[in-house]
Amino acid sequence: MRVFRYVLKRLAYLVPVLFGVTVLAFIISHAIPGDPAAMIAGPKASREAIEQIRISHGLDRPLVVQYLSFAGGLLRGDLGVSIRNHRPVTADLADFFPATLELTLASMTLCLLVGIPLGIIAALRRNRITDHLIRVFSVFGVSMPVFWLGLMLLFVFYRNLGWLPGSGRIDAVLTPPAQVTGLYLIDSLLEGNLPLFANALWHIILPAFCLSYVYLAIITRVVRSSMIAVLGQEFITTARAYGISEAVIVLKHAFKNSLIPTVTITGLSLGELMGGAILTETIFAWPGMGKYVVDSVNALDFPAIMGFTLVVATVYVAMNLVVDVLYALLNPRIRY
Amino acid sequence: MRKTLFSLLTCMLLFVGPALAENQETLVVGVSSDIHTLDPGVSSDNYDWRQIYPCYDRLVKYKVINGEGSTEVEPQAAESWSVSADGTIWTFTIRQGISFADGTPLDAAAVKFSFDRTLKIGKGPADNIGAIASMQVLEPYTLKITLKNAYGPFLQTLATDGASIINPKVLQHEKDGDLAQAWLAENTDGSGPFVLTEWTRGQRAVLEAKADYWGGAPKIKKTIVRFMSESADRRMALERGDIDIAENILVDQIPALEQNPDIAVKRYPSQLVEYVYINCQKPALSDKRVRQALNYAVDYQGIIDHVLQGNGVQMRGPVPKGMWGHKEDVYQYRRDVDKAKALLKQAGAEGLSLTLIYSDRRAAWEQIATVMQSNFRDIGVDLKLELMANPTLRDRVDKGDFELCLGAWSPDFADPYMFMNFWFESDKWGLPGNRSFYKNEQVDTLVKKAAVSSDQAERVTLYHQAQDIIMEDAPYIFLYQVQTIVPMRKNVQGYVYNPMLESMYNFEAISK
Repeated sequence: MRVFRYVLKRLAYLVPVLFGVTVLAFIISHAIPGDPAAMIAGPKASREAIEQIRISHGLDRPLVVQYLSFAGGLLRGDLGVSIRNHRPVTADLADFFPATLELTLASMTLCLLVGIPLGIIAALRRNRITDHLIRVFSVFGVSMPVFWLGLMLLFVFYRNLGWLPGSGRIDAVLTPPAQVTGLYLIDSLLEGNLPLFANALWHIILPAFCLSYVYLAIITRVVRSSMIAVLGQEFITTARAYGISEAVIVLKHAFKNSLIPTVTITGLSLGELMGGAILTETIFAWPGMGKYVVDSVNALDFPAIMGFTLVVATVYVAMNLVVDVLYALLNPRIRY
Repeated sequence: MRKTLFSLLTCMLLFVGPALAENQETLVVGVSSDIHTLDPGVSSDNYDWRQIYPCYDRLVKYKVINGEGSTEVEPQAAESWSVSADGTIWTFTIRQGISFADGTPLDAAAVKFSFDRTLKIGKGPADNIGAIASMQVLEPYTLKITLKNAYGPFLQTLATDGASIINPKVLQHEKDGDLAQAWLAENTDGSGPFVLTEWTRGQRAVLEAKADYWGGAPKIKKTIVRFMSESADRRMALERGDIDIAENILVDQIPALEQNPDIAVKRYPSQLVEYVYINCQKPALSDKRVRQALNYAVDYQGIIDHVLQGNGVQMRGPVPKGMWGHKEDVYQYRRDVDKAKALLKQAGAEGLSLTLIYSDRRAAWEQIATVMQSNFRDIGVDLKLELMANPTLRDRVDKGDFELCLGAWSPDFADPYMFMNFWFESDKWGLPGNRSFYKNEQVDTLVKKAAVSSDQAERVTLYHQAQDIIMEDAPYIFLYQVQTIVPMRKNVQGYVYNPMLESMYNFEAISK
C-alpha cells in the first residue's frame, strides 16, 4: 500500500518535470538562429512565399502565444503539426517510435543476457585469464566510438562475409507487417509470418549489438564488482559452511544481493539507449526517431523537435521511477 | 535441445536467403533522403520530386537525344502549342486519350485545375509558374494561358515538377478547404507511368508501373526506393547487389567501386555549381578591386583536382556550360598571386582580415574552406573560417550578416534566367538569389529586359552583355560545376541522366 502511494506521489512529480522540459526545449529550439519558414519554402523561394508560410504556420505570432498554443494542444494529447511534412507530430512519432523502441529493447535484452553472465563469470574467475579476457572485451566496449564500431561490423559481417544484412528493419523487397504494436518482431509473429519474423530478427542483430556494446560493457563491470563484494561477505561463507551447493550460492544468494546496482544501471541505460540511438540508427539505416529528429533539427521543425524531446524525457523519467520502485521491492530496508 | 536450436538456425538462414534485388522486374534504388511530401503543388525538394515526377504527366518534357538528356523540351501531354507575337498568350492543344487511374480524362480543364491549385497554394512551386495571369478552357482539349507579361522561360517551367497535372477528382479528398493537400502529401493521383503504392516512412517507397500507360508500359514492373542515409551503407548494399543504383556516394568511395567488375560508375556534367558569395555591401568588399583580388587568389584547378578528385569543371561566367546563354569566351579568373597583391595595394586594402562562413551541407566544403584560407594567406588576406548549421547560415545570408559564404545552386528549369536574374537582380537580395547583395543598374536593366523577351537570340545577347560587366565587378567567386557520379549494377540498362532532373530518374525506360 505504501509502495502504491509512493508511486502515485512520484507520478505527480512527473508533471512539473515534464512541464519544465517543454519550456526549456521550447526556449532552446527557438534560440537557434534560423527561419523555419525559409527552410520550408525551399532554397530559392521569394519573400512573399516565405511570408505566407510564416503566417499560415503561425510563426509570426509572439513566442509566448506559440508556447501557450503548444502547451494547450499538449493537454489534449496533440503535439502539433510538423512544419516540414504537415502531418501531426503524433502520427510521425507513431511511425518512428516503435522502431527505436524495438531496437532499444533488443539491445537491452542483449545487455542483460550477455552482460550479467559475463559479469558473474568474471567475478568467479577473478584475476584469472577469463577475467582478463572479459575485461578486455568491456574496455573495448566503453572506449570504441559507436560510429566506428558500426562501420566495422557492417564491413565484416555484411560486406565481406555476407552473414548478416546491413541496413533497414527487413529486406527492401519485403512488405512490412500490418501495424499492431509497430514492433516487427511481434507484428510478424501475430501475422503468423515466420519468414518475415526471421528476416526482422536477422536485421536487428548488428544494430542491437552496436547500440548495446557500451552498456553491455558497463553492466558486465558493475555485476562483476558487486558480485565480488557480496561473495566476500560473511553470510556466503556461512552458506558454504552449511554445504549448500556453489551454484545455489552464486545464483540465489550472491546474485540476488548484487542486483540493486544492476537494476540502477539497467534502468538508466534504457533511457540513454533510446536517446543515444541516433548514431546507430544512422549507420544501419534504421528508421527510428534518431533519423527523424536529426532531419527535424536540420529543417528547424520545432513541433517535431519538441515531440521527440518530450518522448525521450518521458521514457527517461519513467525509467527512473521504475528503478526506484524496484529498489524498494528488492531491498525492504529502503524507506520512502 | 541443441539439435532443435541448430535446426531453427538453419531454417532462419534459409528464410533469409541471398540478395533479392536480382529480381529482374524490380529496380531498387538506394537514396540518401526520405520523402517529405508528395504534393507537386507544395514540394520544392528534389528528393520528393524523385517519387512525384514519374507519377504525373506534364504538358512538356525534356527531350532525350541519342540516349542523353537535354535541356530542350518536347510535347508530352500537350500535342502542340502556339504563342502570340507579343509572347503573352499561349494556346495548348492537349493530346486526347490520356486518362487518370479512375478513368477521368486528362483535358484542358484538368490542366487548368492543376495550375490554379498550385498558384492558390502559393508555395515554392507557384513561384515557378508564377508568370500565369489567367487560363481559359477554349475547347475540351484546348487551353489558353495568358501571362502577366512575356516571359522567356515559360515553356521550360511547364516541365518542372510543380507543373504536374493532377486529377481534378482529387478534390473529393479535400478537408477544410485544403485543396486535398493532406491527402496528396501521402498519395499520388496522376496519369504518369507509375503509381505510388506504399510509403513506409524511413524505409522505402514503392512505385508500381502502369501496364496501360499511354506512352507505353515501363520495362520494369516495380521500383523500390530505399532510404539509407549513410553513403557507406549505400555503397556496401550496391556491392552486395541489394540495390541496383546508389545515389550520392562520397567521392572518396568511388575509386573502390570502380574496381568492382559488377559495377558501372557513370559521370555526367551537371548544372549544379558551387561558388562563394562576396557580400558587396560590406565596406571592405565594396571596392571591386578587392573582389577581383579574391578571385585571383583562389587555386581553382587545385580544388578540382585534389578536393573533388577531378569530378568538376571550373566555371566560366555565371551561366554553366551546357545551358544556353553560357558565354564561352567570358573573362575567367585564374590563380595569379602577384596580380591579386597589386590590386589589393591599389585599393589600399592590404592586411585585410575576412571571415568565410559555411555549413556541412556539402561534404567538400570543409576542405575547400581550408584551401581558400591558405590561398588567401598568399595574398596577405587573413581568412577566418566559421562552420555553422545550415538553417543558421541561411538566416545570416538572408540578413546579409556575412562577408564571404560558400554556396551551391542548381536551376529548377533550363533557362539562364535561373542564374542571371536570380543572382544579379537587385530586388532579389538575400535568400531569393542575389546572395552577394550586388547592385549594378546596367546589369539590372539588361537581365530584366532579357526576362520578358521571348526572342531567344535577343536574350542571349542581353545576357552576354551582362556577363561581361559581372565578371569585371566580381560579386562572386565562381568555383566549379559539379560532375554527378551515378554508380549502378552493370545490368541496369536505359538510365538517362538529365541535369535538369537532379535526383529524378527515368524509371519508365530503365530495365535490367
